[in-house]
Amino acid sequence: MRLVGYAGDAAADGMWHAAFVRSPHAHARVLSVDASALPAGAVALLPEDTVGLGRYGCQLKDQDVLANPARFVGDIVAAVAAQTPAAARAAAAALRVSYAELPAVFDPLAAVAEGAPLLHPESGGSAGDAVSIGVRPLAGTNVCHRFRLLHGEAERGFEDADVTVEETFRTAGAQHAPMEPHATLAQWTADGRLELTTGTQTPFNLRDDLAGVFRIEPERVRVVAPPMGGSFGAKTFTRLEAVVACLARKAGRPVKAVLDRSEEFVTLGRHPAAVRVRVGATRDGTLVAKQLDCWADTGAYADCGPGVASKMGYAGIGPYRIPHVRVDALAVYTNLPPNGAFRGYGATQSVWASERAMDMLAERLGMSPLELRLRNLLRDGDRFATGETMHDVHFEECLRAAAAAVGYEQDPRGKGLCVLLKGMQTPSRAAIAVERTPVGYTIRSASCEMGQGVRDSLRLQGAALLGCEPGQIEVPDPDTDSSPFDTRTTSSRSTYMMGRALDEAVADLSANGGERGYGEIANEGGLDPDTGQGIASTHWHQGAAGAAVSVDEETGALTVERLHAAVYAGRVVDRAGAELQNEGSMIMGLGTALFESVEHAGGQITNANLSDYCLPALGDLPGELTHELIEREGAEPHGLGETALPPVPAAIGNALSSLGLHVTELPMTPERVAEAAA
Amino acid sequence: MTTTWLAPESLDEVLELRGEHGDATVIAGGTFVGILMNQGFLEPQALLSLGHVPGLDGIEVVEGELRLGAMATHRAVERSAAVREGWPVLARAFSLVASPRIRNQATVGGVLADADYASDPPAVLAALGAQVLLRSVHGERRVGIDELIRGHYETCIAADELLVEVRVPPGPERAVYRKFRSRSSEDRPCVAVAAVRGEDGLRVVVGAVSGRPQELPEVCANGGGPAAVGRGYAEAIEPISDSRGSAAYRRRVIAVEVRRALEELG
Amino acid sequence: MMLELTVNERPAALECEPDEMILHVLRRAGLSSVRETCGIGVCGACTVLLDGEPVSGCLLLAGQAAGRELTTVEGLPAEHPVPMAFDAEHAFQCGWCTPGMVLTAKRLLEENADPSDEEIAAGLGGNLCRCGCYLKIRAAVRRAAA
Repeated sequence: MRLVGYAGDAAADGMWHAAFVRSPHAHARVLSVDASALPAGAVALLPEDTVGLGRYGCQLKDQDVLANPARFVGDIVAAVAAQTPAAARAAAAALRVSYAELPAVFDPLAAVAEGAPLLHPESGGSAGDAVSIGVRPLAGTNVCHRFRLLHGEAERGFEDADVTVEETFRTAGAQHAPMEPHATLAQWTADGRLELTTGTQTPFNLRDDLAGVFRIEPERVRVVAPPMGGSFGAKTFTRLEAVVACLARKAGRPVKAVLDRSEEFVTLGRHPAAVRVRVGATRDGTLVAKQLDCWADTGAYADCGPGVASKMGYAGIGPYRIPHVRVDALAVYTNLPPNGAFRGYGATQSVWASERAMDMLAERLGMSPLELRLRNLLRDGDRFATGETMHDVHFEECLRAAAAAVGYEQDPRGKGLCVLLKGMQTPSRAAIAVERTPVGYTIRSASCEMGQGVRDSLRLQGAALLGCEPGQIEVPDPDTDSSPFDTRTTSSRSTYMMGRALDEAVADLSANGGERGYGEIANEGGLDPDTGQGIASTHWHQGAAGAAVSVDEETGALTVERLHAAVYAGRVVDRAGAELQNEGSMIMGLGTALFESVEHAGGQITNANLSDYCLPALGDLPGELTHELIEREGAEPHGLGETALPPVPAAIGNALSSLGLHVTELPMTPERVAEAAA
Repeated sequence: MTTTWLAPESLDEVLELRGEHGDATVIAGGTFVGILMNQGFLEPQALLSLGHVPGLDGIEVVEGELRLGAMATHRAVERSAAVREGWPVLARAFSLVASPRIRNQATVGGVLADADYASDPPAVLAALGAQVLLRSVHGERRVGIDELIRGHYETCIAADELLVEVRVPPGPERAVYRKFRSRSSEDRPCVAVAAVRGEDGLRVVVGAVSGRPQELPEVCANGGGPAAVGRGYAEAIEPISDSRGSAAYRRRVIAVEVRRALEELG
Repeated sequence: MMLELTVNERPAALECEPDEMILHVLRRAGLSSVRETCGIGVCGACTVLLDGEPVSGCLLLAGQAAGRELTTVEGLPAEHPVPMAFDAEHAFQCGWCTPGMVLTAKRLLEENADPSDEEIAAGLGGNLCRCGCYLKIRAAVRRAAA
């Protein structure tokens, strides 16, 4: 069988290995780092080595190569390189760091309360923003971003409601837990260029951040991105690359870092969130007003927390016509490891809240949860709460398919539904180049492979356009030196955006002699962060799920008997790949729904291994797990990488709710279900 | 400092080395030691492998008594015709441990010497009245599971002793083992219950809730039916709290699972 | 110390430290299919066959493999039914867990030529796939069994 080469397999002549010195304190000033006991032959990167380097961060530049103060347990305060990984670990243990502890805060609601310790007293202004959203930090607080959406007049709107429900829902933090840990190899060339081989979904963002750190032109940085052993958002933006690059520069040789599993737990996670929903309807089930307050715990550094909070905010409105909407979504600093892009990008947390609240509302109205949704779903030509007009809308189709799959209308007991909308990165750019070769073609794209099959998709699309076999098309690893610019491989955008760019490139190639072609495509839009108005997404990811469950009320043990997801695919490019995205998203959704939770005490992660943090195994498959990919003649391919994850917890939660068991916090552990039954 | 690798080829040599290198880490299957070493909790000066010692991996029945050698793997016990026939609950308990990979490597001696509170075999062996043989250059002694396991990862095995064999009395008329997981199908147990009805009456041992397997003979003796026994266990045990459940939740589940085990036992 | 054993049907003499796990020894020897992932034997990505039986490469000390036979996927013939079934069913995404899955499935089918879904789940339950390919993995095992 063909074996994939990952970043951790990379090697360079004279390469040494990195190890990190991490703060044992959640919040502490680093007073000194004593390297006097450093073994001979090891090189240490100390605070004095990083004076003058630039700060980095994809939306707020709030991170330093070596942290001071350390802002979470695990924050890197020094680093070493040595000839072997074992020697590096021994060398790291030989450094003596002294700290002065500071007060710490571990919950986003506590972090926004009066008197909470401030993690970033001077919040960095966003510059060269890679996500194209205006970041709105609230000065003098731990809020690094506030997203507001105002549509109609929510307060007044509730006066028109006959029934209003209000509830706060919580989602625990989670680990992406890709099987492959983070791995980076950095080296400096003789003429001072930085070259990295690293597992990343965001090569151009990374290049720009690193150029800023070292105060050099972006063209002086080269990022090569081999396939990843899974990522799901974990390997985005700058993770290890800055510190490893510094080590390589100090050591005067290539340096490689590969994290161990416990370090993965203090590198990046998914935003724990509290979402308070208030939603009102008239007696006949017409939605009239909705308020959403979201607190997303972004951990010690913002990373893309502002973007996640914004998406959490508008996804939580749901695919409904609602005349009056107010959303306030905050990304809040806490002294915990940073959280960032995670498959679903904020939608999971707010869809859990919003769709559970819909079932609560249905119950109060004495209506079927299916009927309540159908009554209010957006249709083609409707305006969403952002002001944009919806087109190519298939929410009803998805919802009906999910309901039919679990026999919802025949008998809704023990069954639950969820329908959602999720946006695709807007604005963004994708460019691609095609070159003829003696045996076929080379397609140069910065889309990064992490198992989703983007290369296969490009080969299939390319073969169809170029009139050759997929096997004749070579798709080399993304390389910022030779791959045209792409915003990044996130947001389930690559098959669609790169596919459109490829259309342009092949047209260019055909028109200009057949040797080479270049294509570039952009999608325009974005939301005003203060009003939430604009274009959230040039096209929408749309889906629904249905679940049937049974419960052992004595122990709270929950069995998912049946789970079905219906996702709008538009046009499927690679059938097997598409199926795997739905299946994979659903299985990850099961983990979120039933047992995945990052736990901490006093800032320390207490379940930092894959036994105490549980991942779904083959035996966790429901009795029946099915899905469908809805296509339409002439439609554009729609991204599938994430859509089937967020509806799974909500559908299961609503199935429980149909049995009178109301759980508001994810995961729905047997303990929580048993409490709801008591 | 390089670790010493010791690979003796006889039990006598092992015992001598145990006497001399009390701090050498014994490697039976090596799974538990491997986890400790990988996590940085253990940096052994010397590793004492039992892999080349003949005669330690037997599974045989002698005059109705089951004798399991310390180096018999979980997989071998799970599949042994003799164990499945005479002590099916024991074959089942061993078959439920972790994954086939772990069971191919982990041993009968290791699982008892490790005294991991969440392991399946100790609770069942305790309920079956098993005894272990501890041998040193000075001789041999026999202890029950109750005396062997003192607490979280702590046993009564002396630095110069080696657990060489487990002996299980003739199989009871009826026995049940229940393993309740609160999370994934591969999770370690939240609560485990071994219930045996044999010559000395009813024995119930609850595992995975505390440092030591929990057996309460007075509660069993009081009788009152499955629900009463379940409540008695739940009230008397002080369970741990961890990622698999809080102490309060474990109490709830102990009551339910003990009752269900007894209902299944009949 | 020098470890002498058979790897993929060939005699091998591999230099190693006594406290090294076989995972690292094999990777140094160029067998990149054996992957360090969880360090505690729960994920199966480092699975190797020891005398034909799956074990965790991250928990097997080098010395324990002395004189034994080790098999990794690099040693399977190209037309072996199990990896062929995984290809046919597209039972992979990122590929990281695939070698472990293939070796475990190979042994499962040698012991049980027609496993039920429960038996497949019990046999492969200790091999985690975060990409979530379980449906297709199960289909691949059924296909290889047929």
